[in-house]
Amino acid sequence: MKKFIITLLLAVLPSLIFAQTTAFDKFEKDGVDAVIVNRKMFELMGSVKMDPKEKDAQQYLDLIKKLNNLKVFSTKNGKIISDMKSTVSGYLKSNPLEELMRINEGGKTIKIYVKSGAKVSQVKEMLMFIEGGGPKDSTVLMSLTGNFDLNELSFLTDRLDLPGGSALKKASKK
Amino acid sequence: MMLVLVSCDQKPTLQKYFVKNTESKDFITLDVGTGFLKNDKMKLTADESKALESMQKLNVLIFKRNDKNAAEFDKQKTEVKNLLKSDNYDELMKMNFGEGGISVNTKGEGEHLEECVLFLNQKDTGFGVVRVLGDDMTPQNVMTIVGLLQKSNFSSGQLQPLMDIMKPKTKK
Repeated sequence: MKKFIITLLLAVLPSLIFAQTTAFDKFEKDGVDAVIVNRKMFELMGSVKMDPKEKDAQQYLDLIKKLNNLKVFSTKNGKIISDMKSTVSGYLKSNPLEELMRINEGGKTIKIYVKSGAKVSQVKEMLMFIEGGGPKDSTVLMSLTGNFDLNELSFLTDRLDLPGGSALKKASKK
Repeated sequence: MMLVLVSCDQKPTLQKYFVKNTESKDFITLDVGTGFLKNDKMKLTADESKALESMQKLNVLIFKRNDKNAAEFDKQKTEVKNLLKSDNYDELMKMNFGEGGISVNTKGEGEHLEECVLFLNQKDTGFGVVRVLGDDMTPQNVMTIVGLLQKSNFSSGQLQPLMDIMKPKTKK
């Protein structure tokens, strides 16, 4: 009996761990621009030796090693935008993420949600949802998992020029 | 027990896919040896030599799409995508944009990569698969090689068909 329970747990466990990040996989489709970076990429990037003269480089690398998975989806398609909105709502209902910040900037609404780790400043998962103001604006959904500090994050978005970088800067100063 | 040993050979692999399509009229294939970078004009540093040594082979397979082979294009593109999923590749990253996409996949434990596959595809022009085989290609080595390529102004003549794929199709 004990063996049976252990086997069952082992079978279910991976799906519990990975369940979170698959919710948005359906947005890998036509009409959506996507960038997806997986754990192995971060591991490999983190193992590159950078020029010690580049001050930022080491900080960048240290952060890279703490990242697990990055997904960014961007679309202007009205139907997909609606789908994104409802998917995010549904996701937030069934996952313990807190709204960290909400910003209205240039007609866009930027919402940032985080799931904290052991310490309040440690973030295990960050979800950013940017709703464009007009029909020409994109709606962006970004999911980043790992084990990092919020302060480190704004450093990263600056470097990678990801949408919402300035919002994150404000958020990390909180 | 015997079944397990036999099944390994029957699985479709990207390697087999390359071999299979070398003769096909829809495909363009290129095999680049690493000798192209080893010439007298350039003096290589120890790091650069080591990096080149780690790279053994570079194969390129290109499918150029036209009005007649559109259906075949879709079929082959799907087959490559499936192979990347089923043949134990680690997907490092993927980018999809309007007309097409790029994915980078590897095989190898930790940072000692044995194989790196770049898959580029564009809806109207075609797709390309670049397969680099090596022995302990660490990210460090890959970056060194990229630097070398830039330094040597590697003539893109050979890779022009690949560049063409990624250019958006101009409407006539």
